[in-house]
Order: sequence, then structure tokens, then C-alpha cells
Amino acid sequence: MIDTAKLKQIVGDLDEDQVNEVLDAFIASNPANGETLAVVEACQQGMEIVGGYFEKGEYFVGDLIFAGELLTAAMEKLKPLLGGAGTESRGAIVLGTVEGDIHDIGKNIFKGMAAAAGFKVVDIGIDQAPAAFVKTVRENKPQIVGLCGVLSLSINAMKHTVEALQEAGLRSAVKIIIGGNAVNDAACAQVGADAWSRNAAEAVKICGDWV
Amino acid sequence: MIIIGEKINGSIPAVALAIRERNSSFIRNLAIRQTRAGVAYLDIAAGTGPETERETLAWLIDTVQDATDTPLCIDSPDCQVLLDMMPLVKKPGILNSVSEEKGKCEALLPRIAGTEWKVIALTCDSRGISSDPDVKFDIAVSIVEKAARYGIGEDRLFIDPLITALCVDGATLSSFTETLTRIKNRFPKAHITGGLSNSSFGMPFRKAINSQFLCLAVNAGMDSPIMDPCSGAVRAALYAEEALLGRDRNCRNYLTAFRKGLFGPKNTSSGGQRP
Repeated sequence: MIDTAKLKQIVGDLDEDQVNEVLDAFIASNPANGETLAVVEACQQGMEIVGGYFEKGEYFVGDLIFAGELLTAAMEKLKPLLGGAGTESRGAIVLGTVEGDIHDIGKNIFKGMAAAAGFKVVDIGIDQAPAAFVKTVRENKPQIVGLCGVLSLSINAMKHTVEALQEAGLRSAVKIIIGGNAVNDAACAQVGADAWSRNAAEAVKICGDWV
Repeated sequence: MIIIGEKINGSIPAVALAIRERNSSFIRNLAIRQTRAGVAYLDIAAGTGPETERETLAWLIDTVQDATDTPLCIDSPDCQVLLDMMPLVKKPGILNSVSEEKGKCEALLPRIAGTEWKVIALTCDSRGISSDPDVKFDIAVSIVEKAARYGIGEDRLFIDPLITALCVDGATLSSFTETLTRIKNRFPKAHITGGLSNSSFGMPFRKAINSQFLCLAVNAGMDSPIMDPCSGAVRAALYAEEALLGRDRNCRNYLTAFRKGLFGPKNTSSGGQRP
């Protein structure tokens, strides 16, 4: 029986070699479906450790990007074992950088981690007007909308996007999370979002708690 | 080498605080220290939301111009803001910036025709920041041609082949230098700039990356970096680079700078700021 606590830690430590060793041995042992689900969960919980280290200033942006890739690779290994069960999406997220802003580093890190965590992510890209978010939300009916921005002006654009969703009658059906250098408590209140984060791993956890 | 000092930027938390508190001596100090470090221009960026950007920039411009005569580089993502600030500036400097995003060239370039204002041209457009040198070169050509229509010569353009974060984009240096080389071949009189500190974004011990990027970029032909002129490590790298490239006879500039304490054990100008 696999030690999920140890797996969680070595994922958190970004020890790629050990993660591969452990997962390869696990797959070779022909495990039951319930065990695989526990392993998937341990890997995803390892991401929370990563988020914690980033918060403390021990991990840096490059580590977050690597963590997303590590988790994605781990999920790829485990997917064949799950067959149909356990591969349903945890929920859909419409994601984009708001109008007037072309930054996307954090958005892309979040996208990788969220997809690896089992979300279906519809990324509409950068410099997206409120109308683009409204259209995509209408088409995809996501549980969550993620708005990203680094420039101070993006807070206004986030606010307009939330208002546009409100006017389209779509606001109450979704949770909205905002991310990027510009966001904080005050910005979140001003924008009318449900949560904010400057840490991709933390943002994925918040989304996970919502669905 | 034309150095554009980056320290007066409201995105930096300490500067944002000084702006909120209208702490003019903090800003004056940044202007004076960067001037003493030998900058040709002082970049001034509000880093605030649009509602307060004009009043913030006006206050910063006023405070800095009261402290030094160094020409200014006015920095805003909004071209209309740049145009509104121009009358407040005592002598023509640099406008930071235009790009091929949504009508920026069309808004700004006609208004600086017939003046001595210079402009930074970012090689990005509404699609975003490409790492493909072909894409960035094409954008540079387009902007130079638009500028020429208004009589704005290449020598008034500071073209930025865009420096991105190394930890996200492992090819950031090669993309920058390849683009730079093509631009310089086609437009030999144009200046080549870039936001040096971008290269080390998200990394620890940033001065190591900033110094190396600076040297490699200068070697390829960058002549007007936007950087922290007060970082002893980066400054030392720049003086060493210039000497190594044969631009400092008998290492006069290097030795003079060392004796003045601009870098090395006598350097006190970095003032405990992050490296």
C-alpha cells in the first residue's frame, strides 16, 4: 500500500526522480481504483505544500511552473489506470487576463495547476474585454471565472467584467476569483469578486473548495 | 551608454508608500542618487490606477524636477496620459511608450512631430508579447515606418526587443539579441533599450541575472538599458563590459568610477535596497 503522506511531501519537495519512482512502482503493482484516486489526491495535496513554500519565500516563480509540469506529468501517468471513473472534470473555469493588460505568467501557471488538479480550463487569453468573458461564460457554463491582471488599471477592468456578467444575468451562477500582482482585499471588494490570490497553488485550492 | 534609471516607479512598494504619503524627500533622494550614478534619463511611473495616475505623475514630475536637471522618461500604459504630462516637463525627454497595441502610435507620434521628444517603442502588439524575433522585428519596422511619416528619425526612437522573465522563458536572451541584431542591421541609428530587471523577475539573488543579461545584451548592441543604476554589482558589470568591449581606453572610466565609489568596497549608493 502506497504511503500517500510521503508522496504528498515528495511532490511538495518537487523531487521529480522520487515522484517518478514511486508512481512507476505503484502503477506496476496493479492497484485498485480506490487506491489510484487516493494517489491522485496526494499529488494534488502536494501542490498545497508548494503554495505554502512560495508564500514563505522559499519557492520562486520558476518552482511554481515546474510544479505545474510535475503535476501534469503525474496525472498523465495515472490517467490510464482510472479509465472512465475519476476522470470527470471537477468543474469548469473560464480564465483570462482582463482588458488593457497583456501579462500572463501567473494565469498560465494557474491554468497548468488547475488542469492537473482536474478542472476543465477555458483560457480566453490576454487583453480580453468584458464581452469576451460574458460570451465564453454563456457558452461554457463554468462554475468559476478567473480574472487576471498585473497592471493597476486591471482592477477597473475586472470590475467592469464582473458588472457585465451581472448585467447578462450570469453572475449568480459563478464564483469569481481574481489573481495577479494588482489584487488584494480592497481590490477584491471593489471588483465584487468572491476571492483573490497572488499564489497559483492557493488559488487552485480555493477553486477546489468551491466545487 | 545611455542609462535610464528605473527606481521612481509606483509599482515598487516603498515608492507606492512615498506616493501615498506625498513623501517628497524620498522621491527627491531617488532622483539625486540616480543622477549621481550617471543616468541620462529618469524614468517616472505612477504605478497607480487610472483615476489617480495624472495627479500622481504630476506630483512626481514636479518633485523630481525640483531636485535635479536630469531629463525625464515619462512612463504610462496610457498614451493620452503621456501627452497630458508633456507640458509639465521642462525639457523634452522620452515618452515610455508606444507599441503596435490599439492605436498607440497613431495617438502619440503625430503629437511629437516637430519636437525634440524621443519615444520608446515596444515590439509587441494586441496579440501580446511574442518570443519570435521575426514577429518582433516586423513590429519594429512598422513603428519606424510610422514614425518616419511624421518626420521622427530613427535616432529619436528607443526600440525595445522586450526582455521577459528568464524563469518563465528560457530563451529570453536569445530572442532579445536576435531581434536586436536584425533591428540594428536595418536601422543602425535607432537606440536599443530594454527593461533589464524583467530578466530576473521571480528569481532570488537578482543581481546575478541582471548583470549577466546586461553584459550579453550590451555585447549584442543594446545601448540604453532601463535599469537600477544604484546597484553596485550591475554598475560594476557595466563598466567592466564597456572596458572589455574596447570602449574604455586604459580603463579610465572604470578606474574613475571605482575611485568615486560607484562600485566596489567604497560603494554606499545602493543604500541597502534589494539587489
